[in-house]
Amino acid sequence: MRLDTLHTAETPEGIALSLRPAGIVARGLAYLIDFAIRLCIFFGLAMLFGALGKLGGAVLLISYFCLEWLYPVVFELTRAAATPGKRAMGLRVVMDSGLPVTPAAAFTRNLLRAADFMPSFYFAGLVSMLWRCDSKRLGDLAAGTLVVFSDQVNLHGDVPAAEPQAPARPLSAQEQLAVVSWAGRATRLTPERFDELARIAEPVLAPGAIGAGASQRLLEVAQWVLGRRAVAEAREGRKQ
Amino acid sequence: MTPLDFEAAYAPIWAELEQVIGVAESKRKFDGARLATLYRRVCEHLALAQARAYPIHLTQRLEALTQNAHRLVYRRHDYGMARFARLALVDFPEAVRAHRAFLWAAALMFLLPLVAAGWAAYRDPGFILHLLDAGDVQQFDAMYGDGAEALGRKREADDDWEMFGYYVMHNIGIGFRCFAAGIFAGVGSAAVLVFNGIQIGAVGGYLVAAGHAGNFLSFVVTHSAFELTAIVLAGAAGLRLGYAWLAPGRHTRLEALRLAARHAVVIVYGVVGLLLVAAAVEAFWSSARWVPPAVKYGVGGACWLMVLAYLGWQGRPRAGTSAMKERHAG
Repeated sequence: MRLDTLHTAETPEGIALSLRPAGIVARGLAYLIDFAIRLCIFFGLAMLFGALGKLGGAVLLISYFCLEWLYPVVFELTRAAATPGKRAMGLRVVMDSGLPVTPAAAFTRNLLRAADFMPSFYFAGLVSMLWRCDSKRLGDLAAGTLVVFSDQVNLHGDVPAAEPQAPARPLSAQEQLAVVSWAGRATRLTPERFDELARIAEPVLAPGAIGAGASQRLLEVAQWVLGRRAVAEAREGRKQ
Repeated sequence: MTPLDFEAAYAPIWAELEQVIGVAESKRKFDGARLATLYRRVCEHLALAQARAYPIHLTQRLEALTQNAHRLVYRRHDYGMARFARLALVDFPEAVRAHRAFLWAAALMFLLPLVAAGWAAYRDPGFILHLLDAGDVQQFDAMYGDGAEALGRKREADDDWEMFGYYVMHNIGIGFRCFAAGIFAGVGSAAVLVFNGIQIGAVGGYLVAAGHAGNFLSFVVTHSAFELTAIVLAGAAGLRLGYAWLAPGRHTRLEALRLAARHAVVIVYGVVGLLLVAAAVEAFWSSARWVPPAVKYGVGGACWLMVLAYLGWQGRPRAGTSAMKERHAG
């Protein structure tokens, strides 16, 4: 079963972009922030134009319309591709293909908020977002858009320093990746858990220094996988 | 090549791309050609890094770089007036004609209830009380009657503006909802069409029966050309969405829905335009009591003809040019 919600989109250059769809909480909070902003703008305008009588009334009604329907469209077509609320939550709107959102798609997805709203309080939209693993609401489905987190998270830090040491046997690409990923999490895991994971790799570890724990030896292998070689070995390699 | 060598060899390119992206995101002017070149190089590096299972921090950095560059390289540039003009002159009327079947369906769903309710209200003025409260009905009576409270009698320029704002907010909102509700298998759009048909028909029938025919018809004849067409068009666009959901054909349901939305939204652009015109006409022209009804009928008729002709013929390729195109394509 797939646990992550990563959405991959292939580009014309043949590389896969991984997009991370935003869930209901981040999007809900973004909506609330936007709602508060719209409310503030409307009250500000009401203070300004309320005194102007009927003409002011016309301006207010039209600005209400614009805030309701055009506010998200306009902001989603800027370079940030997000309303202020979405930007505050680190979200952006993109097409399914990873491309920037087109005007037609931005318009469609925001028009269909009326459908998402039905029967009340965005019930249809909430059901759709909970149902789908990419958290699309009806408007996103019809427009082919996706709300994604704009910033990359970095789960992996630097690999701790150690004397490079070759593994007992050649490692496959996947195994190499696993070893380096493990080493990159040195600062995020407790030492006990770090060591426990290292012991799984015991079969490929060289005997190493006496008394050195599995994690120390695996760190040495990780350095080797990264391409560091012991000084003597490197000299030998150059001679060949 | 070990990951370290790889990083050492190409890090300058990555750093340069990072810098170009920074410039492109903050300023208007940037070196697009350089960005594209670097982007393609880094795409290669990312593919290599993924194929060789290089450490995750490396591939992640390249992924982030390529994603940011990708977004900039494929950014849209054409928001210009030319596109807007093309939308009004060609795309919108053409989209309307392409959805002819839905248009007829929507028109029937709107007009049949309208005529039926109108007839019922004309025959039996009590019929309207099934739909509206007595208070609303009295208000209608006052509005279209000849009394001092009547529509347009005492209205000043300011009132016109307020009504314009109200029509923009209210009517375009209804148009949008009529379209959006279509996503529920078309049921929502159909309901909006039928409901509005009954409502408008009943009020019209009642007012004609009550003897306000002249006032009422001369009031509605001009803006209805834009408003009623727009409502029917919004309904047709909504039905298109619902139909894609019900009968996706050779696409998956989602694919069909997406395609339908892409075609139907062009109609909604037009609906916005028509409703804006309708709001202006309704606020500033329809309510003007100093214009004799005969003039209003004339202008209204002309508007109806204009709208229908616009939807029917505007943007059709000339017979000669279409033949030329086919020859070129062949």
